Amino acid sequence: MIKRTLAVALASATAVTLAGCGGGSSSGKNSADGTKAGSSAPAKSGKSSAAAAPTAVSTKNPSRDKNADLVIWADATSAPYIKQLATQFGKANGVKVAVQISSDVRGQYGTAFKAGQAPDVIVGAHDWLGELVTNGSVAPVQLPAKVASGFNPKAIAATKYNNQTYAVPYGVENLALVRNTKLAPNAPKTLDELVANGKKLVAGKKATTVLSNQVGKTGNPYNGYPWLSACGGGIFGTKSNGQYDPNKLIVDSAGSVKGASSWAAMGKQHALSTNIDDKNADTLFASGKTAYEITGPWSIPAFKKAGIKYAIDPLPSIAGCGAMKPFLGVQMFYVSSKAKNATVAQTFVTSFLTTKSAQETLFKVGQRPPALTAAYDAVAKTDPDVAKWAAAGKGGQLMPNIPAMNSVWGPLGQAEADIVSGKSAPKARMTAAQKEIAANIAKG
Amino acid sequence: MAVSTETSSSVIGSSPARTPVWALALKWVAIAAALLLALYVASKLADHGHTLAVVGTAFVAMCVLVIYGTRRAVPMKYLFVGLALLIGLQVWPIVYTAMTAFTNYGQGHLASKEDATAQDIAYSVRQVPGSPTYTLTVAVKDGTSTVAGPLYFLLVDEKGHTFVGDAKGLNQLGKNGLTIDAGKITKAEGYTTLNLLQANKRKDLSSFAVPTDGGGGIKASGFAAAYNGKPTLVWDKKADTITDTTTKQVYVAEGAQWVPQSGKGDALPVGWKENVGLANFRTLFTNSTIRDGFLGIFAWNIAFSVLSVLTTFVLGMLLALLLNDSRIKGRGIYRSLLILPYAIPVFVSALVWASMFNQQFGLINNLTHLNIDWFGSPWAARAAVLITNLWLGFPYMFVVCTGALQSLPGDVMEAAKIDGAGAWRTLRSITTPLLLVAVGPLLIASFAFNFNNFGLIYLLTKGGPFTGGNSQLGSTDLLITYAYRLALGGTNPNYGLAGAVAIIIFIIVGLLSFPGFLRSKALEEVN
Repeated sequence: MIKRTLAVALASATAVTLAGCGGGSSSGKNSADGTKAGSSAPAKSGKSSAAAAPTAVSTKNPSRDKNADLVIWADATSAPYIKQLATQFGKANGVKVAVQISSDVRGQYGTAFKAGQAPDVIVGAHDWLGELVTNGSVAPVQLPAKVASGFNPKAIAATKYNNQTYAVPYGVENLALVRNTKLAPNAPKTLDELVANGKKLVAGKKATTVLSNQVGKTGNPYNGYPWLSACGGGIFGTKSNGQYDPNKLIVDSAGSVKGASSWAAMGKQHALSTNIDDKNADTLFASGKTAYEITGPWSIPAFKKAGIKYAIDPLPSIAGCGAMKPFLGVQMFYVSSKAKNATVAQTFVTSFLTTKSAQETLFKVGQRPPALTAAYDAVAKTDPDVAKWAAAGKGGQLMPNIPAMNSVWGPLGQAEADIVSGKSAPKARMTAAQKEIAANIAKG
Repeated sequence: MAVSTETSSSVIGSSPARTPVWALALKWVAIAAALLLALYVASKLADHGHTLAVVGTAFVAMCVLVIYGTRRAVPMKYLFVGLALLIGLQVWPIVYTAMTAFTNYGQGHLASKEDATAQDIAYSVRQVPGSPTYTLTVAVKDGTSTVAGPLYFLLVDEKGHTFVGDAKGLNQLGKNGLTIDAGKITKAEGYTTLNLLQANKRKDLSSFAVPTDGGGGIKASGFAAAYNGKPTLVWDKKADTITDTTTKQVYVAEGAQWVPQSGKGDALPVGWKENVGLANFRTLFTNSTIRDGFLGIFAWNIAFSVLSVLTTFVLGMLLALLLNDSRIKGRGIYRSLLILPYAIPVFVSALVWASMFNQQFGLINNLTHLNIDWFGSPWAARAAVLITNLWLGFPYMFVVCTGALQSLPGDVMEAAKIDGAGAWRTLRSITTPLLLVAVGPLLIASFAFNFNNFGLIYLLTKGGPFTGGNSQLGSTDLLITYAYRLALGGTNPNYGLAGAVAIIIFIIVGLLSFPGFLRSKALEEVN
């Protein structure tokens, strides 16, 4: 009896040990992919994950539908609308289209691509582009000049890497200041004004928090970036062709340090806090516990559901610096370089998704301002928020799409968290972060 | 599959008595089914071009035939299925990981040099400046098959001129016999036009180009548009260099990538996979950040696993002992309630615990009126991890101990009572030793599991807090989360380095578990 128990235990323990070691190739990767969808994504690509956050975490990986003439992978938020378009396209052309939901399109696409099981088209953020190109997993698309000129120039710029076009954009998104109009009837012009009013509300017990902005214990550079940009700082300098230069880091530049000092000042006044993260930032605003949140269009459905009366304002300006400018993110459609149905995929993406009606349908995905100017004008007439988001994004820079950006999220985020919590002084900490980022990039 | 029929026949086979015909038939049907399955698998693998796997499958099929088809190798008939699964599911992953550890496989280095270079060249295709874009109709000549007939491009340029292009070149096309709808040819005399489905089936369409002057070609963009494109890169295979025809930049192969010979400018984006020897292991042992962090993380890793097993076991055992007392009413209800934390997915409970530990808004600080920065200070974070793991882990120990307690022999207990042992003495000298014999190996398994408890750490703290101005060495990092960040998470994925780390962890866990198993063997001897 005991002998048998021991044998079983021995076998299972060996299995556990072996599974642990095999982690590099199979089991580890699965768990990694699963968790990436849930929680680590904010660090890796702030905005895209925030958009996908309402999606329930599913550990089930989609597997390519073999019977379809076109296979599209999208996150759960966008899938219903893409399905609608795909059905239209399929009916008109007599092809069968499968739209499959993936909990982590970026990660699962990478895995499927390596296994030769990739879908034909994926939907995702523009900052994946550098990674997709270096892996050779995305195909160029050819947009005739007269089609491309109908799009927002920033959105078209986002589809390019080394001057080659790789995707068709459908929405532009950025952070703005969302304000509870009942608690704060007027838009603050400066950050000081915002903090002063927020503190008054907290003192008067009308709110518990001055401002809701995701920081968390490991930082959130996407939400922290506007402070750097306001003071003339940032992450990368640019090359002569306008592309971000991974060898020209400006994390410890005078402008960035000045912005970081504003983080520290805000942290001291409890206007920024490492206790506010992706799990509670929206809840604080939706429950009326704060008058202000810095967030993007993806949060709005939750606020509407909670019945909060809100207004969308451009980010305020920082005294001694300038106006805070958010990163611009562009959502787009990529075609796989190993697409089994390349012809259908290219036709769907370049001929069908560039139409006004398709772009209007895609507006319903998270209410992002459409990339196609004609569609933008049409929806701006019916939805007053659209123009406000666009106004808040005016002058914003595209989020870097070079692979070196993967080396930035961790170190810069931690630096932000340390500075906000007062654990480190801005200048020294930003210098250390720059060193760490440079080392990571060199490691390649 | 063939095992069951074979067992009977092999037993009988030792005597001269003949096997019944139906059993023989069944055996051969089973063998044939196994071979068919192997054939199916092999053809699938061949489809994807896995030559080695096809050979492996053929080998397994041959083994099946030899082992079960003949009367020889009787022990092998019992062992073969288990052995094959062991090799496929346990040994192969280790070998594969080890093999990966000696390559640069990772982001930007996925494909062979041939494929990577082809991709680099494909990425350099640009529309020839000043060339028109066309609407496209894909067609074949009447009388040829739409599946295999030579392709023709029926084109209309922006000015309304019509052309026909084939593999030889572009020619004017008279408008007689053409039906043009919205600037696109829909019908042409002498040609059969392809619809989207038919065009999609032509896999030669993506490589097809109508040659034009100056080395370019008219290529399809989807199936309704075409453009005149030309790659700017040219690969000289003999000299193994790539030349950019527009900038005259020459690229040479270096570090599994095409880098500019002059040293100025960027490398081409797509690199390839190649062997790097011991470079990954060298990085592991010489990188100062990795070396300095390793010992601290290793110590916490051991402490975490030991404390996790200890706390969960003690709590689980105490509860099991308590609920083993027949004087307690409604034991079934209590037992089911105690298993609940085990039934909730770790995903959910770890995230709930993470929000409960929030310094400002969390339940724990609010209830206790403390102001502990749970995930901000190293020791508090370690405590938080252990508390959460206690909640997640004790039901397992409770179930295991309950089962073991109920199977303890009653006569020993009675003997202890007769000898005048009190409750405490019975627990210490009788119950605990007997319990430990049964659950000892499970404790070792639990240790090995917690040693690599990636999910808990990642969902709860992501390895943080990170102190001292770095973002690599977290205070609650286990080796596995640290390795993950090092190789896959923080920067660009590097599976080669991850493989090297996995091998090191394998050796460590193996060395740690070995004495444990020796010890449990000793317990068995005592019994």
